[in-house]
Amino acid sequence: MIFITGGVRSGKSNFAEKIATEKSIASNGKLNYIATGLRSDLEMERRIEKHERDRQHSNQFWKTWEQPRNIGKLAENFTASDILLLDCLTTLLNNELFYPDTHPDDRLIDSIIDGIGQLRENCHTLIIVSNEILNEPIQDNELVLTYKKTLGILHQYIVSTANQAFLVESGVPILMKGVTK
Amino acid sequence: MHFITGGAFNGKKSWVKKHYQIEGHSHYQWVSAYQQDPLPFDLSTFGKQLLFLEGIEQWIKGLLLEMDMDESRRSWHERLVKWQRWEDKNRLNRIILIGTDISKGIVPLEKTERTWRDVTGWCYQDSAEKAERVDLVWYGINQRIK
Repeated sequence: MIFITGGVRSGKSNFAEKIATEKSIASNGKLNYIATGLRSDLEMERRIEKHERDRQHSNQFWKTWEQPRNIGKLAENFTASDILLLDCLTTLLNNELFYPDTHPDDRLIDSIIDGIGQLRENCHTLIIVSNEILNEPIQDNELVLTYKKTLGILHQYIVSTANQAFLVESGVPILMKGVTK
Repeated sequence: MHFITGGAFNGKKSWVKKHYQIEGHSHYQWVSAYQQDPLPFDLSTFGKQLLFLEGIEQWIKGLLLEMDMDESRRSWHERLVKWQRWEDKNRLNRIILIGTDISKGIVPLEKTERTWRDVTGWCYQDSAEKAERVDLVWYGINQRIK
């Protein structure tokens, strides 16, 4: 598993796609893109379309799966040589947390961790993209605080179990954990 | 003096506890702004040689309720000087400062929030300057930057 994070427009998605492509050539597996964004409005629609266009224009074939929640359900679709790119964890958490009748508690964290585990077991490499949002003043809003705390716990878990972790700054990936070949 | 910073919920406390191997021991004092502990001045009153001061950004917020920006920074700096003297008195005396990085979001709309962010940044610079070691904790991984 590879974890990639960075600020907004830091180039983290591009870097993730590059890594995924390299891995798929090495594993001779298919490239799968797990999109967590909901097509909720025109702006999201355009963003998704831009990402799709970018992937189409690469020389590789990407299969896109739109899965805003319960990512583990996708696991059965993949095989041991497949490369999975999940973009991104913050949107997934957003969708999970704001789903009607969801209570932010340990079970929510466990179910997301389980989903990650199921995907990880059914592929060659799982690449998770997320955002750096924990370095700003904490607002007093309870829900925002819960969101940040949950994301922090998930990031710590993912980094601790990942083979590699990268922080992307202005398009430059910084290896925070693991080794480069 | 050892200064540890990093984003919120990044595992700073866990890293510090592991690094100093304090779990199961009682030779230290953990002073936390998050537990509403007041900002200390005289450290000799704790009667311990290993002191952890956690949540310094919250204490700085408290200083700003009583004084202006410059006075708050000066007040923090006075403490750093005093604490360093306390450390120098005995080679086993050690103080560990832990502060959440709040410097990287968009400029806050509220003036008090902007002021808090600015003063916290200055106080962190002063703390890092006084410290002989500084670590940045990123999701449980430390990067020694001084």
